[in-house]
Formats: sequence, structure tokens, C-alpha cells
Amino acid sequence: MIRKGIFKKPKIALEGNIKQSKTPSANIPNEMCVCCPSCNKMLFNDELNENLVVCSYCNHHFRMNSRQRLNMIADEDSFIEHNTDLKSENILDFPNYDKKLKNSQLESSENEAVITGVCKINSINSAIFVMEPYFMMGSMGTVVGEKITRIFEFASENRLPVIGFCVSGGARMQEGILSLMQMAKVSGAVKKHSDNRLLYITVLTDPTMGGVTASFAMQGDIIIAEPNALVGFAGPRVIEQTIRQKLPDGFQKAEYLLKTGFINDIVERKKLKEYLTKLLQLHNYK
Amino acid sequence: MFSKILIANRGEIAVRIIRACKEMGISTVAVFSEADRNAMHVSLADESYCVGAAQVKDSYLNISAILTIAVSCKVEAIHPGYGLLSENAKFSAMCEQCGIVFIGAKSEVIKKMGDKNAARITMRNAGVPVINGSEIIDDMTKAKVEAEKIGYPIMIKASAGGGGKGIRVVEKQAELANAFTIATTEAKAAFGDGSVYMEKYLTSIKHIEMQIICDNYGNIVCLGERDCSVQRNNQKMIEESPSTVVTVELRKKLIDTATKTVQTVGYTGVGTIEFLLDKRNNYYFCEMNTRLQVEHPVTEMVTGIDLVKWQIRVAAGIAIDFTQAPVKFYGHAIECRINAEDPKNKFKPCAGKITFLHIPGGPWIRFDTAIYQDYIVPPFYDSLLGKLIVYAPTREEALRKMKAALCELVIEGIDTNIDYLLEIVSSETFTNGDYSTDVLKNGGIDIV
Repeated sequence: MIRKGIFKKPKIALEGNIKQSKTPSANIPNEMCVCCPSCNKMLFNDELNENLVVCSYCNHHFRMNSRQRLNMIADEDSFIEHNTDLKSENILDFPNYDKKLKNSQLESSENEAVITGVCKINSINSAIFVMEPYFMMGSMGTVVGEKITRIFEFASENRLPVIGFCVSGGARMQEGILSLMQMAKVSGAVKKHSDNRLLYITVLTDPTMGGVTASFAMQGDIIIAEPNALVGFAGPRVIEQTIRQKLPDGFQKAEYLLKTGFINDIVERKKLKEYLTKLLQLHNYK
Repeated sequence: MFSKILIANRGEIAVRIIRACKEMGISTVAVFSEADRNAMHVSLADESYCVGAAQVKDSYLNISAILTIAVSCKVEAIHPGYGLLSENAKFSAMCEQCGIVFIGAKSEVIKKMGDKNAARITMRNAGVPVINGSEIIDDMTKAKVEAEKIGYPIMIKASAGGGGKGIRVVEKQAELANAFTIATTEAKAAFGDGSVYMEKYLTSIKHIEMQIICDNYGNIVCLGERDCSVQRNNQKMIEESPSTVVTVELRKKLIDTATKTVQTVGYTGVGTIEFLLDKRNNYYFCEMNTRLQVEHPVTEMVTGIDLVKWQIRVAAGIAIDFTQAPVKFYGHAIECRINAEDPKNKFKPCAGKITFLHIPGGPWIRFDTAIYQDYIVPPFYDSLLGKLIVYAPTREEALRKMKAALCELVIEGIDTNIDYLLEIVSSETFTNGDYSTDVLKNGGIDIV
């Protein structure tokens, strides 16, 4: 075998004796790649986005913004957005809330933590709401509640099914009791929609917590979750600290919830559109 | 000039590039897979780093590992060799984003020439002759109409194609439906893009390619042709320069066309334009390879120009110091690809330990390889063991030299195609130079 160092290094000066002056030296720009939190592999953002923000090595489902989700589910150019200009206000004069709202709008490029509207899914008309994780972690304030209520009302009037993508840290504490009230308001709209014998499917994505779980997220006729999504009311750390007990492995994860009967199925992102289409067809939507 | 280059390849081409760098005073960084720990390029480079498991997708195509090493070693450029990442538009763009020079084509050019149908249309619009064919065909009805228009036999080709995938020859209409479905499915599976187009299928043709080098200052020099018609399953086996059928006038025409081609795409670096040449000396643009070719030594021998060194210089922004007019082609060069495969057993690739190795020597005999005695050929990569290149003032002498050199080349322990190559170069068909791409198909050379 050839051993390391068997070849001598020739003493040859650099051709032309001119070194290329390179400033700055090579570096990998931050926005170019991301490390998968599950398998620690380095992933390139371009490829990750092409792969529906799913790790190609370990199938970890990264958080996905609402527009990406819409593009994944809705047929091209079929989405018509409703109530785009509804924006939250600091009704309770909560300290720093205005600033937080402004920053969230900048970070997510959305006006609120949910986008609602109608679209076609493989040519089937459907009402849809998609929560935005990059807007205050999809927290539910008055505007979120109002927009979702209105889309249910619209769907009831127009006899459309509703597909809802949930991602939320829960009720928006900056809006106090008014945000908690949304749970009841949306639930009322869901019930009316249901009384009209219309289908409501929820897709729970990582994380779906608090008041959202306690209301419309779990009111779907069919409840689907993405793999490994955290779904619960209080977070696992809060529960552990309260009951002073170690929680079982995988507690509040989608797989655990499927086993314990809280959800109907776990569907990978890549298969989601076809899966939803099949469900809509089975319920006679064309 | 760059002071440090990473070589993102393995085998003989990695060794070839490292040698050029050494002569130029450039430090080298090699990357290797777990299976290549004892490979020649690993010891030959100044620094070497493991980039992953044996399979190429985990190592030599592991872009994140390669870029991480490039950045931490502070290299100024990456040489991708041929194959692997050499025509990967994404990788080229990523190198640029990281502030590393990719010694190859810009990502837009790779994309433009990688889409075969788009490349064909670009060339046709630029006035370069292309084979009579169709646009992208998406259904059978259209396929039938277009095939009638072109006239059988036709060839269905994947637009995103390469490596012989998604290609089907159709002799008559009855075969069309089946071939169309297979080509589309194969293309979809191999490239994620099922779009196909059709071309007239030409028989008894020569595969002639023109070597081009272009710098960043608009200088373009064409370094003549290579005849790569001896192929088995679309894989080249023997290459020579000059071609026995290319006359001085035809060469001039081919040089002009090749120059026009690279001008059209705004190419820089070394590249190859492939043409198909029929019996009546009509030639058609086939495709462009935006990289160094395996068979580049043939051109180096007849022109005296070191292509790898010039490729590095051009990437570093140095202008070519020769122009088209003084480039002269002296003598004749022939290259045989020595593969680890068993011609008696359907060319099954072989792996294993080389128990004895003797490399021929003497004037104008060159063996580009990365093997050595006791080296274990790993089973994970292509079967190329080395390239035997000879040069002589005349073709006849070059043939004598090649025969002698093939007989002197001894590789024991694994199966090789040396005897098979010897039979080809000794055959009458090859000796008189009148062979076409189907020379090994139609029993032209009756060997196995």
C-alpha cells in the first residue's frame, strides 16, 4: 500500500509568482444552509425548499411558512385570499405589543398569523386557512379568530369543505380575554358549518398548542398530523414541572397521539395533497 | 494564480490534476471516500480529507462536506475533474456564493447546455447544423406525426439526458408506442423530467469532437478534433487525433462551427463540442461538454498544450497566450481506455487486488493512472483503471507503438480489457481508419 508521506513535496515556486489576493476569503454564507436538528446533517436551503422543507436524510419536517404551504396544497394560481387587510391592534395597551406586531409583520411578510381564502385542490374547490408560524408563532388573537370564523361562514354559505392548517403557540396573551374568546367564537362557526353537513379537515403541524388545540384544531371531522408534530395544551416542560413526574417518551408527539386515539392519521408532507384530495373525493366533493 | 486548489474527484483524473498543480507550485487538497483511503491521489496531495462513505452520493457528491473542507482549508478554487460534480450547475453556483472559483463552466452555461433540447434549439438558431428532429413531444399522437415527418429510423431522446438514459432507437412505426413510453418513464426516473424529443437516427457515422479553450477576454482557440467512434454501449473505448476522415477543409469548417458554438453560449474554460459526421462529410451538433474530457491527453499530445494547466490558468483570469493561427497539429495520438472488466463475461466490472503491475515506458508512451502494485480496486466506482496514450509522427507508427505498449502493459490479479483493445487496434477495420460508431455493434470487429 502507498503510505502517507511517501512522495516528497517538490519545491516549486508558484507559477508567475503572483498570488491571487482574495478578500474576503471563502466562506459559506449563513443563508445558504441549515443544520437539521434531528440528524445534524447540513442541508442547503435551495434543496430543502425543493423538498418541501423536509430533510432528505432523516425526513424531519421543518417548519414551513404559510405561503409555502399554500403553494404545496393549492393548484397553481387558484388561491383567492379573503380579508387580507384585517390587522391586529393593541386594544389593551399591552406593553411592547405594537412593536412586536410590526416586527412579526416584517419577519413573516404577512399582516396576521393566519391567511384564509378559497382555492382548488386537484381541481376541487375548498375553503382553506393556513396559520403562519413566523408571525408570533401563529398565536391566536382577535383577528386570527375573526378571519377563521369568516372563512367558516363563507364555506357554510357556499357549501365548501374547509381545510385548516394549524400551527400555534396558543392564545395571544397580549390580547388577554379577547383572544380566549376566539376559541368559543370559532367553535360556534365550526359547529354551524358541521350542522350544514360540510366537511372540515384539520392538519396539525409542529407545534399546535394551547387555545388552538383546545378549540378548532381538534374539532375537525378528520384530524391529520405531520410526522413528529408536537400537539398539546400546556407544553411538556410546564406539565413536568407541575406534576413533578417524568413524562413518557414521545409525549404529545403526533405518533403518541395517534396511538392514544386523539388523531386519525399521520401523513407526510409529500403525500399530503393527494391524501387530502382523496378525502375530499370520498366525501363527494368534485 | 491560485495558491491552493481542492480536487473534488478521484482516480486517474485527480492524480492528473494534482500533478499539474505541483508543477505550477499550487498546493493541493484531496478529498476521498472511506473506500479510497489508500488511493494514490490521497497520498499525492498536500492535504487530504475524508468526505464520507464509499458510495459517491455520500462522498464525492457530498457537496456540503466538500464545501466545508474547501472553506476550512482556505482553498481559492475547486477542480471537479470530469463526471461527478463537473457539470452540476447547482454546485458551480454554490462555489461562487462561497467565494470559491469553480474550475469549470458557470452555472447558467451548464444549465443551458445540460438541457439537450434547449441546446439543440440554441445551436440551430445560431446557424450550427443540428440533426433533423422535433421539439418536445408530450403525447403519442404528436409522436406519430413527428416521426413520420422525420422519417424512420428515429431516436427518442430525453431532454435532460445523459449517460445513455432515456434514449430509444425506433426502426419502424410499430415500435414507436412502446419506445416512447419506455423513454419517457426512464427519463422521468433518471432525471425527474420526462420530456423527450425525437431526432433522425443516423447510422454509419463518426463521433468527432472538437476541443475548445476560451479565456475571460474573448479569446477562443480550437485545438482540433478527436475521433471517438470506437464505442461500446455509448461508452468510448479508443480515441485518436487527428481523425482519419477529417480533411484540412473539413477541419477548418469544424473549427469555425465549434468557435461559433462557444461564442453563442458565452463559454469560458475548456470544453468539448461533439459532432456526428456522416459518410458524405455532413456534420451535426450533438452536444457540448462543459468540462475536461477523459480523452483530453490525445489533444495534448498532438498540440503540445497542457489542457489541465491552461484550464487552471484561465480560471485564475490569465489570458491564453496562443491564438488559433499558430496552433499546429503534429503527428498522431491514440488513447486506449484500460478498464477493470471482463470482455468474456459481458464486460462485467471487476474489483480486487492488483497483484502485479508493469507499466510500459519509452518515448511518447504515457499511462495516466492511479493504480499501483498491491492496490485494491474498490467495487464502488467506474471501471477505468487508466488511459494508455501513445504518440508518433504518423498514424501507422502510432498504431505499432500502441500494439507494443498494450502487450507490455501487465495488470495481474483482476480482469482487464487489454487483450480486447489489442484485438481492436490490430483489426483491419481500425487499421484502415474507416470505422464508425457501430464498429463494435455489427460484428465489424469480431472479437467476443
